[in-house]
Amino acid sequence: MSGTWITTRAWLLMLPLLVVMIAVIGWPLIDTVRLSFTDARLVGTEGTFVGLANYAKMLGGSNFLRAFVTTTWFAVVSVTAEMVLGVLAALLLNQQFRGRTALRALMILPWALPTVVNATLWRLIYNPEYGALNAALTQIGLIDSYRSWLGEPGSALTALIIADCWKNFPLVALIALAALQAVPRDITAASLVDGAGPLNRFRYVIMPYLAGPLLVALVLRTIEAFKVFDLIWVMTRGGPANSTRTLSILVYQEAFSFQRAGSGASLALIVTLLVTVLAVAYAAMVRKAAGAS
Amino acid sequence: MSALAIQNIHKRYGEVETLKGIDIDLESGEFLVLLGSSGCGKSTLLNIIAGLAEPSGGDIRIGDRSILGAHPKDRDIAMVFQSYALYPNMSVARNIGFGLEMRKVPSAEREKAVAETAKLLQIENLLDRKPSQLSGGQRQRVAIGRALVRNPQVFLFDEPLSNLDAKLRMEMRTELKRLHQMLKTTIVYVTHDQIEAMTLATRIAVMRDGRIEQLGTPEEIYDRPATLYVAGFVGSPPMNILDATVVEGRLKIAGDGQAIALPARLRNVVSDGQRVKAGIRPEALRLAAGDEPVPQFKARVEVVELTGPELVTTARIGDQRITACLPPRSAVLSGEERAFTIEADALHLFDPDTGRSLAKD
Repeated sequence: MSGTWITTRAWLLMLPLLVVMIAVIGWPLIDTVRLSFTDARLVGTEGTFVGLANYAKMLGGSNFLRAFVTTTWFAVVSVTAEMVLGVLAALLLNQQFRGRTALRALMILPWALPTVVNATLWRLIYNPEYGALNAALTQIGLIDSYRSWLGEPGSALTALIIADCWKNFPLVALIALAALQAVPRDITAASLVDGAGPLNRFRYVIMPYLAGPLLVALVLRTIEAFKVFDLIWVMTRGGPANSTRTLSILVYQEAFSFQRAGSGASLALIVTLLVTVLAVAYAAMVRKAAGAS
Repeated sequence: MSALAIQNIHKRYGEVETLKGIDIDLESGEFLVLLGSSGCGKSTLLNIIAGLAEPSGGDIRIGDRSILGAHPKDRDIAMVFQSYALYPNMSVARNIGFGLEMRKVPSAEREKAVAETAKLLQIENLLDRKPSQLSGGQRQRVAIGRALVRNPQVFLFDEPLSNLDAKLRMEMRTELKRLHQMLKTTIVYVTHDQIEAMTLATRIAVMRDGRIEQLGTPEEIYDRPATLYVAGFVGSPPMNILDATVVEGRLKIAGDGQAIALPARLRNVVSDGQRVKAGIRPEALRLAAGDEPVPQFKARVEVVELTGPELVTTARIGDQRITACLPPRSAVLSGEERAFTIEADALHLFDPDTGRSLAKD
């Protein structure tokens, strides 16, 4: 009796939130699914039912495949670099030295910046006429003349990856630093007495403490990187020659630039599905790692 | 040649000096216990021997070489930590063999050494387990095994039993003593537990405030404490310390008219009218059976506590309290005034200003 009442009351208390969630998440999602089966345009026609035509067109076209490869490359390279840089930074900041606290605070800064600010900052650095990167590379003699880093298909994606790393390695470093500080001092001391050198100590003694938290960082960062939009939109808008067009950019162009709401919706759902697969796979990995330790 | 020589070790952290000149010479096979309350510098000294901290001055020698500046792994020492410090991701066998693995000992030889050590410590059946699957006592054995397997010149123990419950602590204490008797290794052992120190040590260094208060065998520390601090630290319940004045070869207890006859060995180390602190161990007090020719005094019994093996009796003498450990079936009631006798050998006199023992060695 009282159990039923508690359950009823719990639902009653959650009801306002549920209504809000259905309104802002549930309904748009359902409507996106509906749209994806129509040939609706952003402005004008309500669209008619076209079955799986949008999906077939999107998956069959070369744009999707190319954007998928670009996105995967962006995610794999930037996340790998962020993990390596983050762990190295954490190892450094875990040492005793003067100014450590100041440096720790300073390191957070890139991550604390809004993405748009970061993107604008890097656009200035890469600027083909007065950018700091061109100035620095010319002065140390690595290049002869100023180059348009974001204007050349060969360098634009790499330039974006560097900007993304700079912003996001602090998050990995922060998580790794917290994990390093959880390594008991006695264990480190024991490994010193046992004769483990720096590499063996990292591999056998420190890494087991880092692995779990790093896996979480890896999950977060991969999913984020796979969804990347704002950084690229501000810096290159997917260009030049579509060399930096990731899946999110492609969705945006399809739905808003070309105003094809129907096929844009189908593409958005495909991307959502891919990210969900990633998230589920990672969640399983994290659960397995947690069970093992 | 000593197995381990600690020579004039100093350690400063900024303005604070935590070790103020420590000198200890250890023969091979000795079991030295560094005993003191927290903050006395005993763990710092152990870390300096291990190479986990650098001294500000002085030298540490193992055999005929100075080991200062040598990496911990090159010092021929092994250490057992209070937290056991087992590697959580490795099996027991790998934990024990890790030091050998890092020293590139061939795996066949390593496995043999691990198996022998495990047998010695009776943990052969645990070799495949992870530390998280072990009880506290088992972890402690693994930690000891990790030290033993390397067969170093000197073993260092940092409060190894303090995380165990009382019963297990006693078992492991006996186990450690058995191992030491069997292996005849040189050990430096840090503890704040005076019972551990008394039972395990061949020599005890009582430390206080960065200095050695007294260095001696357990018997010397217990029977002839050099200072009031040592007298109060070793023994449970602690030694009774009474304020008194020497009057005509007798000890007049402050706040009370009674005078206790001084034994001959103490009579000529004090002068008439001298203020002293008199130390009497609770276990050296007995109920007087009659008019015996031994030093005695009267006191009013306040509290009687039966602990099982003894009757801990607290009594008032003047405005001072005194504790006696009496046989369990002693007929003594709270509130009554009783006469107590003191074993003549068990009376200690200390200078109230310096705290040093007045007895001549």
